Amino acid sequence: MTSHYPVTIVMIEDDEGHARLIERNIRRAGISNNVRHFSDGTTALDYLFNGSDGPTMNGPALILLDLNLPDMSGTDILAKIKSQPKLKRTPVVVLTTTDDKTEIQRCYDLGANVYVTKPVDYEAFADAIRQLGLFISVIQLPEVEA
Amino acid sequence: MSNAVAELLARHDRPDLNFRRLLVGAVALAILVLLSASVATMILLSQSQDITRWVNHTYQAEHVVADMRVLIARDESARRGYLITHDGVYMNAYRESATALPRELERFGALTADNPRQQDAEARLQPLITAKLNEQANSLQAAANDARGQIDPATLIRENRASALQIRDALNAMMAEEGRLLSERTEAQAVNATMLLAVVLSSSVLVALLAIGAFLLVRRYAADLDQSQTALKVLNAGLEDEVGRRTADLTRANEEIQRFAYIVSHDLRSPLVNVMGFTAELETAAKPLRELVARVKAEAPALLTRQATEAVELDLPESITFIRSSTQKMDRLINAILRLSREGRRNLTAEPVDMAAVLQGVIASLKQQTEARGASIAIEGPLPDLVNDRLAVEQVFSNVVENALKYLKPGRSGRIVIRGRTEGAMRLYEVEDNGRGIDAKDHERVFELFRRAGAQDQPGEGIGLAHVRALVHRLGGTITVASELDRGATFRICLPEVLAKA
Repeated sequence: MTSHYPVTIVMIEDDEGHARLIERNIRRAGISNNVRHFSDGTTALDYLFNGSDGPTMNGPALILLDLNLPDMSGTDILAKIKSQPKLKRTPVVVLTTTDDKTEIQRCYDLGANVYVTKPVDYEAFADAIRQLGLFISVIQLPEVEA
Repeated sequence: MSNAVAELLARHDRPDLNFRRLLVGAVALAILVLLSASVATMILLSQSQDITRWVNHTYQAEHVVADMRVLIARDESARRGYLITHDGVYMNAYRESATALPRELERFGALTADNPRQQDAEARLQPLITAKLNEQANSLQAAANDARGQIDPATLIRENRASALQIRDALNAMMAEEGRLLSERTEAQAVNATMLLAVVLSSSVLVALLAIGAFLLVRRYAADLDQSQTALKVLNAGLEDEVGRRTADLTRANEEIQRFAYIVSHDLRSPLVNVMGFTAELETAAKPLRELVARVKAEAPALLTRQATEAVELDLPESITFIRSSTQKMDRLINAILRLSREGRRNLTAEPVDMAAVLQGVIASLKQQTEARGASIAIEGPLPDLVNDRLAVEQVFSNVVENALKYLKPGRSGRIVIRGRTEGAMRLYEVEDNGRGIDAKDHERVFELFRRAGAQDQPGEGIGLAHVRALVHRLGGTITVASELDRGATFRICLPEVLAKA
């Protein structure tokens, strides 16, 4: 990690319960990074693109993205992130209930880095998040160009 | 549109029926009239022939009477000639006439055998003529014997005036009778001819009228037919449009349902993740509590209430267990809906399917279960092949055969038979088992989603057959079950040989 800034985990998740469960399991995995939670697409995009401490302006970030959002589709957010030059290298982990094959393919086509299905089986869910934590702890994030 | 069809049918059906009745009636009437006319003509013609024959007959009889008159005159004059001249020529002429006369009388009798009056006349004439001939013969004999000319010919010539008059009267009466008959018969003939003419004329007029009527009817019928055809054409075009619209509607509705099922199952999943997750969190949280209660129990039992112990040790774990099992079941149901909706959206592709190979594959995949249950699965006879979606066909048969294996009758060695045959463009497959069977009231129910029948002693959510039926319908086929409780079940799967293009 060459970055001077700590990696911020940006979680875009409309379900408060899911957000809590994800955060708890990330913490249990030993990840202590700051988690910014947004429950709708508009404010999340605003933060990502314009936030003074957001990834466009500042430090590196990792985005956890749910596809089913109330105000817009997660794939639209994904497309916007991946088409913004300063944001496109930011890793995006799609974390959603959808396990539809075409949806998964679409996300990867749009540039998603990881696609995780939220299993209803909690053990599997917790396991997935913990592995994600492991992933977060080892990935090299790209430098954000000033 | 169906209202329009009904209207059209109502408008065109009833007059049509009346019209047809009218037509049939007219034709029957025409046939009847022609028939009776020809019968009448035939009768009149044969009558006319009869009358003509009788007229001829009368002429014949008159002729015979006239002959007799001539013969009588001739033999008298021949006799007189001989008596005067003694010339043999007269004698010969006399003999000729004298022999002809009774013959003619006899002929007359034969001719008028039907007429008692003439018979009477003949009977009256017969002795007169015999007497006259005898008298003449006697006079001639006397003249022949009188070689010396002693007898005056004048005495011999004198004839019996009275008998001659009687003969003449009889002959006149005969003639008059025949004349009467002749005029009677001629009149009958005239009447007959008039009648014949009337019949022919009237039947001609009738036939002409019927022909005109038939022509008018046919013309009206043709016009009606034209009108119906036009209406039908319009209707057909409308129907095609309607069918197209309905199909589009149905397709849209179907797509909506699929999307709805998909969205609902997804949206249901989301809270379920929470329920499961926080239940697990609750369990995790309960763990230190349980440990605390255990410690308090050991170290300071006085602090512990019975409720607290029960809540932590019994109620909490039990509640969590129930929440878990319910959410798991809900998850399975949601997954089933999701699978059905996904299956419904999958594109089917027709390809040649070797059914024997498919069923062998199904049997092989169920080998373990089959052996565990001590059952046997056999394919009986050749199976007709399909050009259909392989995956869907495999899923259908796999589900049905697995079901047969699942619901065998305990204590009876299971036997499952698979057979197939061709029925027109359809291929019929039967999966027959000797298992526990399905009550008739449940025959429809077993195909419904989340519904099951009989003892609930096997795991399952009531999805398999619903899935199978949805698949079979998508393939353009049908599935039915024939079964009685405890007597096994036969599932009949009817599929089109070639998958129709959607």
